[in-house]
Amino acid sequence: MATDARLPRLARPAPRGILRTLLLTLPIFVWSLLMFFHPGANTERLSTIAGLITAIFMTALFYMMMRTGSTYRWRRIFFVSLGILFPVGFIYNIVSVRGTMGIPIEEMIAGRTPFCFMPIPLLILPAALTRTLVFPGSFSSVSGHGMATMVGIWLALTLVIGKGWCSYACFFGGIEEGVAAIPPRARIRKLDPRWRYIPWAVLLAMVLLSLALFEPAYCMWLCPFKSVSEYVAARNTVGLVQNVIFILLFAGLVIVLPFLTKKRTQCSWFCPFGAFQSIFNKISIFEMKIDKERCKPCLLCRNACPNLSLSKESVARGETLLSCMKCGACVDACPRGAMVWHIKGTGIQAKSEPARLMFLYGAWAMAIMFGGSIIAEGLAVILHFVV
Amino acid sequence: MAVFASYGEALTLGLASGPACIAACGPVLVPSLLTQRAGFRPHARYLSAFLAARLLGYLLFAVVAWELGALASMLPAPRALMMGVVYCLLAGVLLWYAVSAGRNCAHACEDSKLVKIGGPKNSEIAGSASLGFLTGLNLCPPFVAAGVRAAQLSSMAAALLFFAVFFIGTSVWFIPFLSFGCIARNQAVITVARMAMVLIALYYLALGIAMLLGKKAYGY
Repeated sequence: MATDARLPRLARPAPRGILRTLLLTLPIFVWSLLMFFHPGANTERLSTIAGLITAIFMTALFYMMMRTGSTYRWRRIFFVSLGILFPVGFIYNIVSVRGTMGIPIEEMIAGRTPFCFMPIPLLILPAALTRTLVFPGSFSSVSGHGMATMVGIWLALTLVIGKGWCSYACFFGGIEEGVAAIPPRARIRKLDPRWRYIPWAVLLAMVLLSLALFEPAYCMWLCPFKSVSEYVAARNTVGLVQNVIFILLFAGLVIVLPFLTKKRTQCSWFCPFGAFQSIFNKISIFEMKIDKERCKPCLLCRNACPNLSLSKESVARGETLLSCMKCGACVDACPRGAMVWHIKGTGIQAKSEPARLMFLYGAWAMAIMFGGSIIAEGLAVILHFVV
Repeated sequence: MAVFASYGEALTLGLASGPACIAACGPVLVPSLLTQRAGFRPHARYLSAFLAARLLGYLLFAVVAWELGALASMLPAPRALMMGVVYCLLAGVLLWYAVSAGRNCAHACEDSKLVKIGGPKNSEIAGSASLGFLTGLNLCPPFVAAGVRAAQLSSMAAALLFFAVFFIGTSVWFIPFLSFGCIARNQAVITVARMAMVLIALYYLALGIAMLLGKKAYGY
């Protein structure tokens, strides 16, 4: 590996002034309060407290991003919190309503399966060809978790930030990002680049099988996160096998491999939704670019990327791979400031901070709206048990 | 006049159920097409072999339908058994295809940037024909509906013709698959297609074994 950590590090830009940082953070603070703090409304006291804590938490992280100029480590705190608190809130709700985490067939027939964004790519072809949704959920739920709401939010946001969804909104990726952060260094460093193709293969296979068998094939057999959300109510051997597959995939891809590689292995090597999201990186105006005049290349960016979205060849070309999640790890790792946030159509020499700000306002507003509400829900559950 | 109406019905049934047919064949056809060389001719050759073998499957089914006369009311157990066998065989052929495509790729990629896929034409045609024949035996609802009508016809020849016309109707929907020839082939496309084939094969194998063991497909 041609990594040279002794490269002269360019002086980091000085932190922003406090007043300027506060001004930049103000819109996010207002947005957070609007989202989470509703005193006097018919909400429980603990929910109000949880909302207030979430608003402060999200605002403080954004403040630190603005103040330090670093993105990744502050985003990671949010993302890991989201990954941990999603199962807390979800499991509590599902057990309160249903009494078990296992979903029985009666619930599916009644269309009461909570919708998640994972099956979105699996729904497209059956819906286009037969006007049938191969998911046992309701499209017009008033709970806010209905399919129409979920698909609408996803589409609007994903058109703007592309695969940034996977770093700022996905409520699954945080668990593995947290696990990957635990060991000081990776035990396995040599990773076959061909494994990057697996998510595309899973996507292709699952889309075709969903169309052929008229079922959300991924949810039925392969979703690792069934282990921490809603497993199959196993009533026979096949159901047991399904649950064993879910647990093994979760243990391997979300716990063991991230710990050994310090990468988000489920996202990099398996997630079909992530592969689908990659396509939207072509549409999004935001991207990460490498200023080739400044780049040595030391490949620290490639090593820092949690999603294997940089290769030696892509660095030489001055760009990331299609799978880039815009988490900012590469920018923070670059000692020479060669890796930059960039708006398509502008020159690479243009100042990158405005591009970073524009992206972060969009991405963080989405993070507050989508991930923040999940964090608030999880916190409310914890407060419910603690207080 | 009644004869024309009958075959008109077969054609209409075929045309109407085309989307269901391409949906049923998609998991087999799409990845295997993606491992072919880019271009119209290789795809036309592959699709021709696939469809010809699928027609053979249809005609075989027509003979059985007419002979038994009551195939549509085939009991669930033997029907599940037949589907289980078909799924297991499909899984086997897909796995073989994925492995052989990799071998051909590794051999042909040595000094060419463009991947040259497909070994000897005979084995390529044998693979597509096997897949076509097995998907031709797929007991999807429109296929069973055609089986019911064929069983009611006066002679076996009429039943065969009915299924042949039904086949023509469904085959129209396969013409767009020729456009896959326009997709540029490189190592990434071939690798993704091979990996997808393996996954689909494992899925079919699981379904097939579950059906053979008489288990419900899902544990709900």
